[in-house]
Amino acid sequence: MLIPTIGIEIHVELKSKGKVFSKGKNEFSTYPNTNVTVLDLGYPGILPQLNKEVINMGIAASLAFHAEIAKEMHFDRKNYFYPDLPKGYQITQQKTPIGSNGYIEIERNGVKKKIRIERLHIEEDTCKSIHTEHATLLNFNRAGVPLIEIVSKPDIESAEEAVLYVEKLRETLLYLGISDVKIEEGSMRCDVNVSVHEDGTPFGTKVEIKNIGSISNVGVAINYEIKRQTEMLKNNVKIVEETRRFDDKTMTTIAMRTKETGNDYRYFPEPDLPYIHVNEAWIKKIEEKMPIMPEVLREIYQKLGINEKNINAILSNKKMCDFYEEMRKNMNPIILSNLLTGDIISFMNKNSLEFEDIKLEKNNLGGLVEALERNDISSKQGKEILPILITEGGDYNTLINKLGMKQISDADSLLELVSKVIDENPESVIDFKAGKDRATKYLMGQIMKASRGQANPALVNKLLIEVLENL
Amino acid sequence: MTNYLSLSLDEIHSKLVKKEIKPLDLVLEAFDKIEKNEKLNAFITLNKESAIEEAKALERIEVNGLLFGMPIAIKDNIVTKNLRTTCASCMLENFDPIYNATVVEKIKANHMIIIGKTNMDEFAMGSTGETSYFGDILNPWDLTKVPGGSSSGSAVAVSARITPFALGSDTGGSIRQPSSFCGVVGMKPTYGRVSRYGLVAFASSLDHIGPITRTVYENALLLEAISGEDSNDLTSSNKVVPHYVDYLNKEISGLKIGVPNYYMSDVINEEVRNKMKEIITLLESMGCNIEFIDIDYLEYAIPLYQVIALAEASSNLARYDGIKFGHVTSSYQTLEEFYKKTRSEGFGNEVKRRLMIGSYVLSGKNANIYYEKALKIRGKMVDSFKDAFKKYDLLIGPTNTDVAYLLGTKQDDALKSFYDDLLTIPLNMAGLPALSLPIGFNHDHMPIGMQIIGDYFKEETIYTLASVLEKTLNLDLESGKKC
Repeated sequence: MLIPTIGIEIHVELKSKGKVFSKGKNEFSTYPNTNVTVLDLGYPGILPQLNKEVINMGIAASLAFHAEIAKEMHFDRKNYFYPDLPKGYQITQQKTPIGSNGYIEIERNGVKKKIRIERLHIEEDTCKSIHTEHATLLNFNRAGVPLIEIVSKPDIESAEEAVLYVEKLRETLLYLGISDVKIEEGSMRCDVNVSVHEDGTPFGTKVEIKNIGSISNVGVAINYEIKRQTEMLKNNVKIVEETRRFDDKTMTTIAMRTKETGNDYRYFPEPDLPYIHVNEAWIKKIEEKMPIMPEVLREIYQKLGINEKNINAILSNKKMCDFYEEMRKNMNPIILSNLLTGDIISFMNKNSLEFEDIKLEKNNLGGLVEALERNDISSKQGKEILPILITEGGDYNTLINKLGMKQISDADSLLELVSKVIDENPESVIDFKAGKDRATKYLMGQIMKASRGQANPALVNKLLIEVLENL
Repeated sequence: MTNYLSLSLDEIHSKLVKKEIKPLDLVLEAFDKIEKNEKLNAFITLNKESAIEEAKALERIEVNGLLFGMPIAIKDNIVTKNLRTTCASCMLENFDPIYNATVVEKIKANHMIIIGKTNMDEFAMGSTGETSYFGDILNPWDLTKVPGGSSSGSAVAVSARITPFALGSDTGGSIRQPSSFCGVVGMKPTYGRVSRYGLVAFASSLDHIGPITRTVYENALLLEAISGEDSNDLTSSNKVVPHYVDYLNKEISGLKIGVPNYYMSDVINEEVRNKMKEIITLLESMGCNIEFIDIDYLEYAIPLYQVIALAEASSNLARYDGIKFGHVTSSYQTLEEFYKKTRSEGFGNEVKRRLMIGSYVLSGKNANIYYEKALKIRGKMVDSFKDAFKKYDLLIGPTNTDVAYLLGTKQDDALKSFYDDLLTIPLNMAGLPALSLPIGFNHDHMPIGMQIIGDYFKEETIYTLASVLEKTLNLDLESGKKC
């Protein structure tokens, strides 16, 4: 049985306001070659700037992935020639990555596993090149867009683990709010290294797969590659170190180029940028501003007694989660989670509403949750009220009064009502004495009807039993 | 022809204030002199139309400073908006920048008038003025001799009194060596004192911009004008810029001055050494305390330079690939051929030679063997200088091992021309300020330069000594007179 060994390198575009080494705007989607400065063009005489926002994002990502943060770091130049590289070198962090020795914990069938992260480093993106039949077009809007590269250790042993790793990484960055992490749009790019080996023998020759366009295809590509390599070894075919490209039409990997021995990037420290010293105070400042990570929230929600289905639904939607976090401390979190993942989200979806659009706030939603918790209103009534609160907002009590849904919880008036209904239904009293349960249910229904649904059902029930038993 | 540009700065200024002359008179005289001295080949591009326009515009403004209306020449590796900047290379023969270097903005803010872009060694690589794509530059003291380089045209323009002011750049001696060969005052300030933004990079950790002038006074004025922190250059310093002229002609008695033994060893031409000895005797007589000292690793200056400067250059010049600007080859089949032909045609031999060495020393294991090791030695040399400045206010020595030599002498020997920078390179490695001051002539009446080296951001101490010596020596340094 061959064991697969998988390592993943992920490039993520950061959504800082500006580019990393110039004052150009970080907006790729605008008209080509409009967000370009002399720096992004690699003009003679230019010197790099340093966007501190990017360093802050790098620190936040390092913290989120439990990585050690470099206290003294610098940038390096990676030298090579290619038309999409304006200066003939890329500014990156070869020697002093901002983060190192981190991990991401994945959970599969209830078993937790740490996938170690070797390094996270900051670098600049190249131009976007578009190859047409007769020419290659360059869009410098992307030149200088900040990237974080996250390199895992070869700790991943299956396609399923790889997908979980990428999903977890994506979720974390999404929660940090530092990237759109859209693999389909190129703001996240996954390169996967796969090799297979017999248990007890050294690692096999690794093959790199590029151009994977979705998270699920990360799994497909890996499974295909494991199968391909296993068959090669079975047939005594030697595996060569190469780069392959995933083809989403055939769902296979196709050879691109063999790795030339020792790619020579002539790295050396970038002399135009001073060393950066990161002290504890700086790190602490970032840490304080960091949102709570989904893995932490999951534990909190489990302790609150929220069911798994609701937890997953809340965590999968950052905006919903933010809303839940804002509300939950002021009301019953379980009832809130039911409402949110049920009636609220379905009403929003039906009416194409965003969380910014809805008028629910701590007070009115809190009133509703509290009423439901105390059975002041029925869940059916709750369903009637919610759309009004969502679209119109306003005070909960005022609305209840306006709708005539105010509960009667005054024992004296209720007792009057109970006695009246009992008097009007002598057969039911006989049935009750004969031990027939449906008699109580019938009488309850009559009382509620007489109160036009406003009677507190719990209190009515208690009073009814008392009166019946004393007859 | 008028001859205002041979007057002292204060005299010119006073004539401007009294409205006896206009900035236009100075500008027109500068262009007349360029024409008269055409054979010197000091300029690549003239800024005639704009300069005349600017001079006329200044007539409507009150004279508001000593630099007001003064013509200045700019080395052609400092970018000037809409004024061709070639680096004396075929690669950038038709390159019109779309932005100004920070120093150019500062010069304009001082109402100085840019006369033109000066000829130089290609991409500042060379120390003879002979590697320019636009032809050899000649030494105004003797037209058969080199002016030194790479800021050849800037030193020549000032020496021939075409402009009183010029800007040069110095990566291994490129301001000080031609200043010494041409008998003018050239300052390489502390690394970070003057913004490098807009200086076409050769070796980023060694590149400096600095003033080349007729006198120490003018030098101090121009340095103050171009210095200061720049948000566009993260290696620039936020240290306050002193009013340097306040430090001129002050008491020098009691100054502690070190002379590195290596700077007086037999690698130095005897006549130059003897001139230095005279100066040392003179300074002692004026009350300076002079001691001979050792600075570590000075003898490794050239290999250090070849590794560090050329490694950085190989990266800095990678952008000239024909894709975005500069020379483009006319016919090609593949991308690789496009790169090869564009760069082979665009760069001259000296540049190509240096780029190859630079790429080599960074390749694979060589990075460890050469580059990393060079950085370590550089660090130790810097420490040794720092130790020296705990004891001394200034260090002095000759600027060069020799005076200007015949054109063509060193063209065939790639190593030899590096030796011109033997005494200047260490200060680029350390980032220390150093000025070249004319201290006399050899038997052939070729100027000899002396280097005055200060501690970090202590340019004012250098100016104090230089101004006192300049006054005491009282040399006639207008080169044109001899021809």
